[in-house]
Amino acid sequence: MTKGLLTTSVGSFPKPDYLVKARNKAARGEMAPQELQGLERKATEQWIRVQEELGIDILVDGEMYRGDMVAYFAEHWEGFGESGLVRAYGNRYYHKPVVTGPVRRSTPTTVEWWRYAQSLTSRPVKGMLTGPYTICDWSFDEHYGDREAFVMALAKAVHDEAKDLEAAGCQYIQIDEPAICTRAEEVEMASRALGIVTKGLKAYTVTHTAEYTQTYGEMASVFNQLVHLPVDNLDLEMANSNYFILELFRRRGLPGDKAISAGVLDVHTHRIESVDRVKAGIRQLLEVIPPERLWIKPDCGLKTRLEEEAIAKLKVMVQAVREVKEELGIE
Amino acid sequence: MFTTAVGHYPKIGGKAPNLRTALNRLDLGRITPDDLHRIEDENTVEVLADEARAGLDLVTDGQVRWEDGQTHFTRRLKGFSINGLTRYFNTNTYYRQPVAEGPVAWEGPIALQDYQFAVAHSSKPVKAVITGPYTLARLCVNQAYPDLKSLALALAEALNQEALALQKAGAPLIQFDEPAILKYKEDFPVFLEAARRVTRGLTVKTAVSTWFYDISGLYPQFLQAPFQVIGLDFVSSKANLELLKEFPSDKELGFGLLDGRNTYVEPVEQIVEALRRIKRVVPLDRIHLSPSCGLEYLPRERAYQKLVRLVEGARKAQEVLA
Repeated sequence: MTKGLLTTSVGSFPKPDYLVKARNKAARGEMAPQELQGLERKATEQWIRVQEELGIDILVDGEMYRGDMVAYFAEHWEGFGESGLVRAYGNRYYHKPVVTGPVRRSTPTTVEWWRYAQSLTSRPVKGMLTGPYTICDWSFDEHYGDREAFVMALAKAVHDEAKDLEAAGCQYIQIDEPAICTRAEEVEMASRALGIVTKGLKAYTVTHTAEYTQTYGEMASVFNQLVHLPVDNLDLEMANSNYFILELFRRRGLPGDKAISAGVLDVHTHRIESVDRVKAGIRQLLEVIPPERLWIKPDCGLKTRLEEEAIAKLKVMVQAVREVKEELGIE
Repeated sequence: MFTTAVGHYPKIGGKAPNLRTALNRLDLGRITPDDLHRIEDENTVEVLADEARAGLDLVTDGQVRWEDGQTHFTRRLKGFSINGLTRYFNTNTYYRQPVAEGPVAWEGPIALQDYQFAVAHSSKPVKAVITGPYTLARLCVNQAYPDLKSLALALAEALNQEALALQKAGAPLIQFDEPAILKYKEDFPVFLEAARRVTRGLTVKTAVSTWFYDISGLYPQFLQAPFQVIGLDFVSSKANLELLKEFPSDKELGFGLLDGRNTYVEPVEQIVEALRRIKRVVPLDRIHLSPSCGLEYLPRERAYQKLVRLVEGARKAQEVLA
């Protein structure tokens, strides 16, 4: 029987209420770091159990101990100063890191958390990193004065982290690059930086890239570069853009060495998709991508959804995959 | 030479009541829209005071009340609805994309009241800012008109009414923000026709402001646009400085020199050197020195430092280069 249609998640899950409250208390200095960490571990275990019970194949730790995906690394690495609050849109603000000196990763950043999550389950847990281009694009630069120099310094730090994850036994490493399409003229540089990150790794590598704001034309202009990014698996949002990118796969094909993680759940809406709708999406994907090179996952991290919404959405996804596999005889 | 802001300024981070908190409280029904307006007013007064304290010669109201340059105008024009989030050029900021759904029309002043409020609370002259018709058309979804050109021209007609109202209110300068034209250069004929239409009947000084992209391929024909002040970003691309070999004596240059997207505060010497270089092409008395774009990409305290440095650089240059 054909194998395929592995299920996974992009990275983040919603934090339980008790953890949100605890993080706020800790930020105000009203809770000791050890106490907070205990709650982060508790929440991590809850999400590992949820994923196991749903029957997801490749798990994530849910990022209970992370706030922002860029600020988390900036807070742990040398070279970053205090971040500043800036507006992203509407009334939404985020802390944007400021690099003030050479970037250096003096100790492993995520390895202990990965080790902990992996100790809770016999299923593989992905190691989750943010890519060098995205960290650069989402930071202020007061030191390098040159985007490429900044990106390449970050690539070295992310590579070291990936090597340490691999040495700890991690078999799947995801390096998120959601900013990669922001400047078409820099995709080549971002790709080179990702090559530095993945160079010499034996672990299976994934990168989460395209964002829901890309139009067909913008996507078409960078498509060839995206499908040749130096990773094994390209993770793409698809559900919220009605799978328009599949047209590009249809026309231009998928390189033989690349697998795709396809988003079949819109993470930006409270609405829970129907099993039939997700199945229709998967069938569309299978017209273009063979099952052994197709992973199924939500569009993006689920952290902005309510806990019960996130679980309900994942449940639909797993059910849809199960039914399609049965119908098509995929193992 | 005089110093000026380009447009927006960080909405939070000062001493006035926090606008972010206020918007959350409005959503929860804990304050009224009137309370919110009062807080917007207080923040606007604070921004105007920051600009004056930094020593700018010509200020904006900081656009504290604008969610963004697109929706601020289209929400108040006839013919638009507002759609989902989309990225603003190559930034990590997003705006809700307007959709042109029916005939566009001006139904009454949009920026006039805010302009009058700013004038009443500013110790410095205030310029009026309007998002230009071409850029608005380009950043919308067009479901109402057969092509970009007809939408841009309809917007130009509507915004011309706004500009005339601002002129009548005594604005010393009206600035039209048109960053999109340097990204989509093939649209230049549409931009030019919309620019002619939106400035019709104006006797006040007008400026066109652009950012993030360079003018290569559109220079010198860009000068045909009927604006006295041509505003360019000299940070995002080095090309603008190279391209400006000649500049007509009847135009002024908006010299966007300090990086509005980075917290690094450029040294005074760098400003003086850049002015020394541009002076060979444009005399200093026809330079409007400014950041490269609006300052809302920065934390408040750093935005203020940029303005302070801008004025320091301008003063030093006047001393050294006079």
